[in-house]
Amino acid sequence: MKSTSYSEKVLDHFRNPRNVGEIENSDGIGKVGNPVCGDLMWIYIKVGKNNNGEEIIDDIKFKTFGCGSAVATSSMITEIAKGMTLNDAYKISRNDVAEELDGLPPIKMHCSNLASDALKAAINNYRKGTKPDIEIITSCQRELRIILGIDEFLGKGVHEEVDDLSIFNNKRVLIENTGNDSLELALELTKYTGRVVVITSGKITPGSPELKKELKHSDVKILYESELLEIKGTDDVEKVVIHDFDEDENYELFVDKVIIL
Amino acid sequence: MSIYLDYQAAKPVDERVIEEMLPYFNKRYANPSSLHGDGDIATDTLKKARQKVADFINAPKADSILFTSGATESNNLALIGSALRNKKKGDHIIISEIEHITILNIGKFLEKQGFKVSRVPVDRFGIINIEKLKRLINERTILISISTASNEIGSLQPIEEISDIASEKKVLFHTDAVASEAVIPIDVQKVPIDLITLSSNDIYGPRGVGALYLKKGVRVNPILIGGGQERGMRSGSENMTGIVGFAKAAEIMKKEIKDEAARINLLRDKLIGGILESIPKSYLNGHPEKRLPNNAHFRFEYIEGESLILSLRDQNVSAATGSACSSKTLEPSHTLIATGLLHEEAHGSLLYTLGRFTTESDIDTAIEVLPGIIKRLRILSPLTPLDLLKKYQEAEK
Repeated sequence: MKSTSYSEKVLDHFRNPRNVGEIENSDGIGKVGNPVCGDLMWIYIKVGKNNNGEEIIDDIKFKTFGCGSAVATSSMITEIAKGMTLNDAYKISRNDVAEELDGLPPIKMHCSNLASDALKAAINNYRKGTKPDIEIITSCQRELRIILGIDEFLGKGVHEEVDDLSIFNNKRVLIENTGNDSLELALELTKYTGRVVVITSGKITPGSPELKKELKHSDVKILYESELLEIKGTDDVEKVVIHDFDEDENYELFVDKVIIL
Repeated sequence: MSIYLDYQAAKPVDERVIEEMLPYFNKRYANPSSLHGDGDIATDTLKKARQKVADFINAPKADSILFTSGATESNNLALIGSALRNKKKGDHIIISEIEHITILNIGKFLEKQGFKVSRVPVDRFGIINIEKLKRLINERTILISISTASNEIGSLQPIEEISDIASEKKVLFHTDAVASEAVIPIDVQKVPIDLITLSSNDIYGPRGVGALYLKKGVRVNPILIGGGQERGMRSGSENMTGIVGFAKAAEIMKKEIKDEAARINLLRDKLIGGILESIPKSYLNGHPEKRLPNNAHFRFEYIEGESLILSLRDQNVSAATGSACSSKTLEPSHTLIATGLLHEEAHGSLLYTLGRFTTESDIDTAIEVLPGIIKRLRILSPLTPLDLLKKYQEAEK
């Protein structure tokens, strides 16, 4: 799909963005993104109270540098959040925004859908006095992205923490490279199963020099220049969709377990 | 159709070309390899077509033209075919940092096959560093491949100099002339380039056909194996309809290129002047003079290119950008980065390419609609400085 295959709703919000601008004397500001990636969003909120005495978003405005979907998601979140309680507004997810816009091109789900993060940053800025720009993202493709299905399969094959390694006995395990801990776990898992795959966005073997050496001599298979896009299955995890940056293509891989520490 | 200013991406087929092609769909459809009378006529047609394409680049012999399925295949055949053929002589190939994505990816492919590929850097105008090129050549070098012009920022490369250096060092020189062939005449008797990639659509012929020119004595190993057509270097029954169209397009282009390029050049200068004048913080990418006469590549501060293209689309103007957001990989244009632009600067780029059917009123509209679009996006952008915002607000009052 072309990166600009946008829904009518996205185009409408791009053409006629709602709530553009800054709020003077705002109560909270959230800034996310990075001009290096081509997307930068600033969200301003003014906090009030509703009849039940709950804190609500009285007013919300934004400014965005970025592509069509960056503008549209910012505009959309201001519409969704206006009048909401802070608690509810904090729960708005990237998926919620994308759904309200009748979807985004898959590649834009990763990079240009930062509006909910900006709003969270603004709320944190109001509540805790944290810096507005708490989430400067340094790499467009890597850190800030959505893995579809991760919530759906959490506990059903997707693990964010691991205690008992025996549950991986003879399973096909995919581990996202999230640092040395994940690599040590991968090495440890080779004692339980012969099918351990580490996925990394880099071109070279990840980890500290010692880990690199160990990985090279282990049965761990490494998928270089790759990114996990989606986790699929009926009840439990059955397969994953992987994007290969080098070949610029997506493919499916059958796995039983996905570990993202 | 829109106001179409994206000629580097695709060009319309000239009506005169279509007319020439029509009989070859259902009346003169014979295969030149066939021995019957119809086949002989086809052989003759093919020969004449080959001559016309050869004439287009002033090649003395028609045989120097191999027909292919287009520029991508010609580039593959030139690089991979030369690499395989000259494997015993060496394993080193030189390209530039701002080649078309096809050449860059062929380079990667060849590296995986064990060849070594060097990439010559460019200056801030996108012109290759000739001294660095000289230094990169070693006794294992078999091929230099540098495009005649950048397909993005239009910078013209010193092709004559490169050709001299290559022949002095006895290294093959290939150039992809696709971006320039409709505006810069090619004369292989003046500049003895070894291999040249040509595309039919880029001179207003049909798509799906192109050519690789091979200087006398230069051969490549085939990459398509089959019945041994095109002197054994490119198998496959000849795409006669396409080839006839390509030849007609070449014939027309040869006659009209000088006047056409001059006319386009004037319009392009008007476009560049009009835009730089009416939009603050706007810049021209590429070289001010050493550039394709049909290319205008701009950079606007504080805004992003994809939203620019979307906005232009709403005004019925078709253009291109080097912004990351519009690419499959979300990486900004490698060409802009190679010229030393920062990532955020590369995002706000806009490419207009003009062609045979561009009119003055197209250019006027393009100049007219852009300031409003840029202003709207800058008002949206958190990067726009206050003083510029104020100027915009004052202008509104």
